[in-house]
Amino acid sequence: MSNSDKTTSLEASFVDAFEAYAGKPPPANAPMPVNGLAPLNAMQGFRRQAMERFRELGIPSRKNEAWKYTHIPEALARGFAVFTGGSIPDPGAAETAQCALAGLDAHIVVLVNGRFASEHSLIGNLPEGVAIGGLGTAASTHPDILRNHFGRYASWEEESFTALNTAFASDGLFVYVPKGKVIEKPIHVINLQKTNERLFLQPRHLLVFEGNTQAKIIDTSCALTGDATFTNAVTETFVGERAMVEMYLVQDPGNDHAVVSTTHVYQDAASTFTAATVTFTGAVVRNNLNVLPNAPHCETHLYGLFLPSGATQVDNRTLVDHAQPDCVSNELYKGVLNDRASGVFNGKVFVRQDAQRINAFQENKTIVLTNEATMNAKPELEIYADDVKCSHGATTGQLDPEALFYLRSRGMTKQQAQGMLLHAFAGDILNRISIEPLRRMLDERVTRLFGE
Amino acid sequence: MPTTETEFLHEVAAGEYKYGWETNVEADTIPKGLDEDVVRLISAKKDEPEWLLAWRLRAWRHWEKLAANPEEKYPRWPHLKYTEPDFRNITYYSSPSKKPRYESLDEVDEDLLETFKRLGIPLAEQEKLAGVAVDAVLDSVSVHTTFKEELAEQGIIFCSFGEAVQEHPELVQKYMGSVVPYTDNFYAALNAAVFSDGSFCYIPKGVRCPMELSTYFRINQAGTGQFERTLIVAEEGSYVSYLEGCTAPMRDENQLHAAVVEIVAEAHAEVKYSTIQNWYPGDNEGRGGVFNFVTKRGICKGDHAKISWTQLETGSAITWKYPSVILKGDRSVGEFYSVAFTKGRQQADTGTKMVHLGKNTKSTIISKGISGGRSNNSYRGLVKINKGAENARNFSQCDSMLLGDRCGAHTFPYIEIKNPSAQVEHEATTSKIGEDQMFYCFQRGIGEEAAIKLIVNGFCKEILAKLPMEFAVEAQKLLDIELEGSVG
Repeated sequence: MSNSDKTTSLEASFVDAFEAYAGKPPPANAPMPVNGLAPLNAMQGFRRQAMERFRELGIPSRKNEAWKYTHIPEALARGFAVFTGGSIPDPGAAETAQCALAGLDAHIVVLVNGRFASEHSLIGNLPEGVAIGGLGTAASTHPDILRNHFGRYASWEEESFTALNTAFASDGLFVYVPKGKVIEKPIHVINLQKTNERLFLQPRHLLVFEGNTQAKIIDTSCALTGDATFTNAVTETFVGERAMVEMYLVQDPGNDHAVVSTTHVYQDAASTFTAATVTFTGAVVRNNLNVLPNAPHCETHLYGLFLPSGATQVDNRTLVDHAQPDCVSNELYKGVLNDRASGVFNGKVFVRQDAQRINAFQENKTIVLTNEATMNAKPELEIYADDVKCSHGATTGQLDPEALFYLRSRGMTKQQAQGMLLHAFAGDILNRISIEPLRRMLDERVTRLFGE
Repeated sequence: MPTTETEFLHEVAAGEYKYGWETNVEADTIPKGLDEDVVRLISAKKDEPEWLLAWRLRAWRHWEKLAANPEEKYPRWPHLKYTEPDFRNITYYSSPSKKPRYESLDEVDEDLLETFKRLGIPLAEQEKLAGVAVDAVLDSVSVHTTFKEELAEQGIIFCSFGEAVQEHPELVQKYMGSVVPYTDNFYAALNAAVFSDGSFCYIPKGVRCPMELSTYFRINQAGTGQFERTLIVAEEGSYVSYLEGCTAPMRDENQLHAAVVEIVAEAHAEVKYSTIQNWYPGDNEGRGGVFNFVTKRGICKGDHAKISWTQLETGSAITWKYPSVILKGDRSVGEFYSVAFTKGRQQADTGTKMVHLGKNTKSTIISKGISGGRSNNSYRGLVKINKGAENARNFSQCDSMLLGDRCGAHTFPYIEIKNPSAQVEHEATTSKIGEDQMFYCFQRGIGEEAAIKLIVNGFCKEILAKLPMEFAVEAQKLLDIELEGSVG
């Protein structure tokens, strides 16, 4: 009983924050929030609806099937102030620099507490028509793009966190790549967190890649200050006809930071979308990755690697919604659970009626290292078309004792042998990363984690 | 040729129910409705002792609480779409003929015997030839038990549940509700309150049951729910193979079947439970058909115990069934082999739960789903490895086959692991009959229908082979009949 009371008060705090925020004019010095702009005036009513829906849905508890293994109310119980703008702290150039990836030549976008910080970003030269910046300013520079894409893919009717984000959405990453443009260098998004109070952050990203474009995006997080944060991020991605997009999400914010990251990807005909999500730390990390290949001949690759330790909970939920025929999707999630960590993999392949000739594969492999660690897997298939090839596999176990013995018989310590095998296990995912400096960084991080 | 193949599959999917007729046996039926008086009336009709009535009433009160809060308590999580039955508009007790017990076959109604004959279980013949002891349950009261005396010589008790309550109350009291308590779920509570009869089987220590024990269930009376309870207790080192088969005559409205099966296997005991279920699935528009909400669970109580579930599910409009094993004893083994075939507008949400508690426990799940017509066929399974279950091992395989483009095949496995030494594997595939496979058959002069039967049978062979001999033949026939259209 006391638990549900707490939950109610949790929701009430968001409702109060919304009332205070929605009635408040945007601060003069801050980037213009989306709702203050003419093309999106209609947003005002939209936000209220989203807030209403959030109030109805509530913060998901473990009674909710989709959140059954992840303890969100507990993670929120510490109390977070909803960040709605105001002054953005200056992270400092030196500190920002340390969050960059060594040896990576990229268009660097810095977001501080979910707000675009142009003075710290190093976007550099871009092909004509390409825009990389904040969503807040994009509302005035690219109103048509926002009108056509914003809020179109991330449906908030059934997801309370998406509804909440939609109600508060004001800034985040904005990328627009017009038809036929190729961005050679990767776009590196650095999410900086700098705060002296416990903040609830809600960045909202919109990425639009029109037909025949190519781009690679790296998203990393960097916590500069002590206090805990809870991030509720929503990303909408449009991948146009024959476009090729790669997205890498690296989650290593430290164990004081909770993350709910929801990504919706819409794929147009013959496009290719690749995502890799690598998680090391976090209080609670929940990744919702929803891909809708909504035209024939799409290709979708989803990779995930989760290596939590301590008391970290990592919950990966993916949905590939095959609405149209002749598509291919391939999914591989691997995890190693140490200490008291818990891992969840809930992958769903959905094939709608008449989406024939789908070839979908899904695999999840997990190694549990300790008695206290827990793994919950729920790989699902929901198929309504007959001419398909769909399969999934899930395994959970420990390192192969014979392989360990082999290495030890060659003079390795147990730790070394174990480290080597775990490294090789993770290598399956790391080797799919096409950006060399990123792959190297992750490889070193994995080496540090498991020992040589 | 794909067009005729499609046609054939359509015909298969539209195939009519072949067991639909009604036996005109005079029945002793109580009025429709559900309240405490009904529970008391059923108990009184069966002349039950006080403790059993008290247990029923506790279950009834629990169910009332659940039913008062359907939003939370009614199981809505399965992948099924149907109108919930009106529990207050069902007859909860129906007994064939005024005189419920028979001593020999001669006393049994002609019509009744005819029913069994048409079902393909000539009771008299089986008595002599097959060596199968049949405890036939028609509606709610056990009609005839064969081979009882022969079994009794070895100390095996095989009788109707009602008889067991009268004659072996200490055993019933000890084990009833120990595996599936009435608080387990909505239907288990309902069953505990209003169960009418069922089978009871007790195998004493060290005894290997010399024959397959078998029960046939039939729902006959219009608008009656069948709520039977089966309790199987296998003492240390014993073995029993138990068969259950079901058919129901054709009915327009939905009939409700909410059974409970409990199995207790002590150390080194082995219980093999096989089911063929072909209740009336409803017509092609989805009218009528049986709602089959069954709770089946076994517990491997002692070390080295083994429980094995094998099922062939071809009937029922709605199937909600998860035969489970709790692996409590060290080195105990749980198995689940299933073929679920749906067509027309049938919906099935079935699978298993394997709960590993003991050390070195092992479980195997092999599930084959075939869906045609506009049916939906889901596998839902749970493999749970608890903290203390060192070196637990599970292998799960779920294959689905789609016979049309308007049906659905789904897999919802849950894998929960709390021990690092566990080794758990799960794999699932979904596909249709390959054009290359069909081509290969055509090439060799095998007709379309025969080819489909051949391929489907091959797809299920692994499971059917697990059934006891007599059943395997019947199962294969049943599957063929189910696949049969008007072609040939």
